[in-house]
Amino acid sequence: MFTVLKKLSWFFRQYKGRYAIALTLLVLLNFVEVAPPALIGHVIDQMNRGTLTYASMLQVIFIYLVLIVISYLFGFIWQYQLFGGANILQRTLRSRLMHHLLRMTPTFYEKNRTGDLMARATNDLVAVSETAGFGILTLIDSTTYSATILVTMAVLVNWKLTLLSLLPMPIISFVMTKYGKKVHERFILAQNAFGVMNNKVLESIAGIRVLRAYVQERAQEQRFAETAHDVYQKNVDVAKIDSLFEPTIKVLVGLMYLIGIGYGAYLVFQSQITLGGLTAFNVYLGMLIWPMLAIGELINTMQRGNASLDRVTETLSYKQDVEEPVHPVALETPEVIMFDKLTFRYPLSAKDNLHDISLTIRRGDTLGIAGRVGSGKTTLIKQILREYEPPSTGKLTINGVPIEELAFSTLHGWLGYVAQESLLFSRTIEQNVRFGVADASEDDVLHALSMASFTKDLAMLDNGLLTLVGERGISLSGGQKQRIALARALLVDPEILVLDDAMSAVDARTETHIIEAIRSSRKGRTTLIATHRLSAIKHSNWIVVLDDGRIVEEGTHENLLLLRGWYYDQYVRQLAQDGPTDDGPFEMQTTVKELRT
Amino acid sequence: MSSAKRLLHYGLFYKRTIFLAFAMLLISVLADLTGPMIAKNLIDQHIVGIATTWYQTKGQEPDAVKYQGRWFKRGTYFLPQEKLGHPITLVSANQTLYVLPGRLPANLSDEHVSGRTLTFLHGKQSVSVMVHRLTNTQIFAFYQPEVPKMLVLASFYFGLIVLSAMFTYGQRFLLQISANRILQRMRTDVFGQIARLPVRYFDSIPAGKIVSRITNDTEAIREFYVTIAANVLSSSVTMVGIYIALFLLNRQLALICLLLLPILALWVVLYRHFAVSVNHRIRILLSDINAMINETLQGISIIRAFHRQERTMKEFEELNNTFFTEQIRLLSVNSASGWNLVGVLRGLFFVAFIAYFSFRYFHLSGMIQFGVLYAFVDYLNRLFQPVVQLVNQLSGIEQAKVAATRIFELLDEHGEDIEEGEHARYQGHVQFDDVYFSYDGENDVLRGISFEARPSQTVALVGHTGSGKSSVMNLLFRFYDPQSGAIRIDGVQSTLIRRQHLRQHMGIVLQDPFLFTGTIASNVSLDDPTISREQVEKALRDVGADRLFAKLECGIDEPVLENGSTLSAGQRQLISFARALAFDPAILVLDEATSSIDTETESVIQQALDVLKKGRTTFVIAHRLSTIRHADLILVLDHGMIVERGTHEQLLAQGGKYFTMVQLQSGTLSA
Repeated sequence: MFTVLKKLSWFFRQYKGRYAIALTLLVLLNFVEVAPPALIGHVIDQMNRGTLTYASMLQVIFIYLVLIVISYLFGFIWQYQLFGGANILQRTLRSRLMHHLLRMTPTFYEKNRTGDLMARATNDLVAVSETAGFGILTLIDSTTYSATILVTMAVLVNWKLTLLSLLPMPIISFVMTKYGKKVHERFILAQNAFGVMNNKVLESIAGIRVLRAYVQERAQEQRFAETAHDVYQKNVDVAKIDSLFEPTIKVLVGLMYLIGIGYGAYLVFQSQITLGGLTAFNVYLGMLIWPMLAIGELINTMQRGNASLDRVTETLSYKQDVEEPVHPVALETPEVIMFDKLTFRYPLSAKDNLHDISLTIRRGDTLGIAGRVGSGKTTLIKQILREYEPPSTGKLTINGVPIEELAFSTLHGWLGYVAQESLLFSRTIEQNVRFGVADASEDDVLHALSMASFTKDLAMLDNGLLTLVGERGISLSGGQKQRIALARALLVDPEILVLDDAMSAVDARTETHIIEAIRSSRKGRTTLIATHRLSAIKHSNWIVVLDDGRIVEEGTHENLLLLRGWYYDQYVRQLAQDGPTDDGPFEMQTTVKELRT
Repeated sequence: MSSAKRLLHYGLFYKRTIFLAFAMLLISVLADLTGPMIAKNLIDQHIVGIATTWYQTKGQEPDAVKYQGRWFKRGTYFLPQEKLGHPITLVSANQTLYVLPGRLPANLSDEHVSGRTLTFLHGKQSVSVMVHRLTNTQIFAFYQPEVPKMLVLASFYFGLIVLSAMFTYGQRFLLQISANRILQRMRTDVFGQIARLPVRYFDSIPAGKIVSRITNDTEAIREFYVTIAANVLSSSVTMVGIYIALFLLNRQLALICLLLLPILALWVVLYRHFAVSVNHRIRILLSDINAMINETLQGISIIRAFHRQERTMKEFEELNNTFFTEQIRLLSVNSASGWNLVGVLRGLFFVAFIAYFSFRYFHLSGMIQFGVLYAFVDYLNRLFQPVVQLVNQLSGIEQAKVAATRIFELLDEHGEDIEEGEHARYQGHVQFDDVYFSYDGENDVLRGISFEARPSQTVALVGHTGSGKSSVMNLLFRFYDPQSGAIRIDGVQSTLIRRQHLRQHMGIVLQDPFLFTGTIASNVSLDDPTISREQVEKALRDVGADRLFAKLECGIDEPVLENGSTLSAGQRQLISFARALAFDPAILVLDEATSSIDTETESVIQQALDVLKKGRTTFVIAHRLSTIRHADLILVLDHGMIVERGTHEQLLAQGGKYFTMVQLQSGTLSA
């Protein structure tokens, strides 16, 4: 029933001082609150008997005022401490969750949806924190209160009577446990439905242009209505049990009442207790109703919190798919990157996505990766990001050290990465470029942007570097976004630059400029380029052509042309379309001629 | 209309259920109040009550008790026509029962027994009589007639409890149902509004924040309908009842107690003053948190690769801490007010009460009715219970109101209704006539764009990034409308055609192909029932994607995860290409659509396009000039203006900007 408190015991231990203060004052206050009625009764009695004096009246008023101040202070402090604890719990869990999410890799994000994770970090945490505030309050208040009354009943009236009227208690606890379990089950479903809904909204907004262009608004509304209805249904399922708590306890307390009065009357008939005793017993039983109802409420709150905590814990306890080595090998510079008969499969994939890849890339080399859509270029290039567990067969080593034995900070410290989809954050252009190097000078930022051929574009933006991009800013074209993402990677001046089809939306000429800039600035450092436009990799030291996850052709540009395979076909085709890019008309003619012979 | 009013308004949609729930609430409250009265009755009538006068009966009969060989029955159990026999009286004293012959006068007091003598006061006169102490067996016997009557009462009591429980269940359940219905309705309303809002809205507000409004803010309103409304109602009823009782008791004192009402009003005003802005900030921060989580998760691979986890964490912590600080601020306001402050108020009322009566006691002696005084204290105490209830709801009300304000704000944004129905397929004759357009109202992105695309023609737009190519498409689709000038489709100004109608026969392939969670097939058809499975397969075949997806385990039913994260950019583009073809549009727009597709696949698409272009007007935005060589019209844009127009050959012959661009791209001219 209180598993949630057990699961949160680390928290209560950590903040035991706060909870000790809150609960002590809470209990003390219950005693302080007995005083005022007594004081008033005292005064009225004295008036009645004609014994009230001026001094005693002033004294009573003074005591009363002091009590008001004490009650107020106590009340304020315990509330502030107790509910503050709930807020701390919320903050702590939220930051843990974020911390955890930040170390998760793609496998996790393929299994979990953003909208649902958002729901866990907001909606569920509220339910969890309720247990540490309202839950604890109800727990302490109702149990101490009912315990006090029970003891009073047993001592002052009759212990047998008290015990007997407690007969329905086991039923109460049995039924409550049952309900609690049900609430737990159903609340999880309800919260899951909420997460699904969150996700649906998120996706509808992210894909708003597509939905509008294809006039899918109504259909989308229809689908959302189904989701919203599902949330409704799941919550109604919770409500069905939720609404049972109070009436069930009412009936059972009624039963206690009946037993109490019935047996009490019998005891009176037997002259074992007095009439006055029975009347008092009756009053005490009445006083038990509130704490009993509160216990129902308590279990409800606890189980909801428990359900939400389970959802949060599910995320928190997801083990990192890619773990950092406990004793990482220290490496200064990556001299040789080596793929050794590497075969790789995505965790959710049914077949191998890379087969038997062997490659050696020395420091300063540029590796070009070509291949048609879906041939595995990205998969190959992502191996170096270490987003997945090491491959089943073969390995990827740097200076002979398997990549999984390197600390993330070492590995990622070398990398500059430009992804296929240029993801920018809703910040200024400058902040986006600076993303990898927070303290870079403005000159460095401008230099990186100029290497990425963004200088002209920058001049056209009114706010220059301070232009906001993304959701809250201007909408940049695909090519502009790619070039900013490129500048972001170039600013890091990385040991290993990884470009994954990073210039697909940039026109050929600009791409050539960028490639030039990269080549000249990156002498002595490693670059990996995956692309569809072969002109971008023709100068690479080594080019591999992938098909279905295998290297089907490899060699230098010249070797590959001689092979007359896929690479050659593509190159000719592209040449016919775009022409060679930077070698001037002269060479183009010769190349074409050469190819035609 | 204020948010509170609109909240209530939403409640009215389910007024029947809610009123039914409130009726049930009242019944169960009444039943709850009756319960203790029955218990009291049970004790007073049947336990205390036997200490009364009993009369002899003719013999054994129901309700009669045998005492010293004769039968006696309680006076109250005699029927009117029955003759009362010889009386005896049971007296309760010294916590036991005594019997004495004859009757005792009414209103006697201070009974006590010493030895066998009962002494009592009758008026001012002390009287003594001889009594006989009953043995426990005798007492037990005297209680016997009460047992069946008590059982009846007890079952009545239990029946009442069960009744009250049933109505409590009904009330709670119905309120929860209505609350959930209201939330569902609000959510579908807000979601419907999402479809009505201009695209501009989504370009300016992060998706995470909008999500927060539709889901979290509506969630914050739930309690308003489940508990808050019910509590406010029942407390108000109780308060009215107590005020009535107070007025009946003592008009002067009751009037003083009415002072509480303006104080409560002032309270609400002050509470709002302190809590509203904090509540607002809390809701905003919550949506900021949502937005940040969303953005972080979208960019997680970049964050990892750039080793920015710690920095991102720090930024999130700042947000999380600000949120915490505001929560604590609200907590301070709530702890300083609420029942805690009601306690102070009650205390002050009682201090004033003591002072007032002491004044009368010292200066106007003999004027105090003590019975009234006791009753008054009791009622005053009771009066403050609903006040506490009421005041405790304030924070919930404020929270709901603030959340509602945010929802209603979104609902009040100017939107355009979605037009249902079919629009006849148009030819696809597109004219731009001196179109000016600006995103921000200051900087013109398009300046005086005029051109014409006849049905079945292919029009290509070229120009550097930022020259306005994509804006032309935004206007064509009416994602935005031009500041001036007109766009005509088949001669009809496009602003006169409903957006949805206009788009019914348009297809687009965006440079960022967006995929939804589902399958490859569902992403092609968008689950539109008018698109058959065959059409989906054909579309995929036509764009040459079939061979690609045939390799997948489930073929075209392969699941697509959020944002199509398991597919490459090229695969995603192919899918969105197939999508455009499956919808068989009259106007097809390709917005830098083939950037991530290899030349081989692109040529497959090109061939398919050549077939499919027949009967469609096609717009191509391209940076690879080679792909548009065969366009019927090429428009060269620069800084939002069309600087050149014509066919590939014409433009080359012109030797202008296009010529330079072609040369630059083919490398025949060094830059």
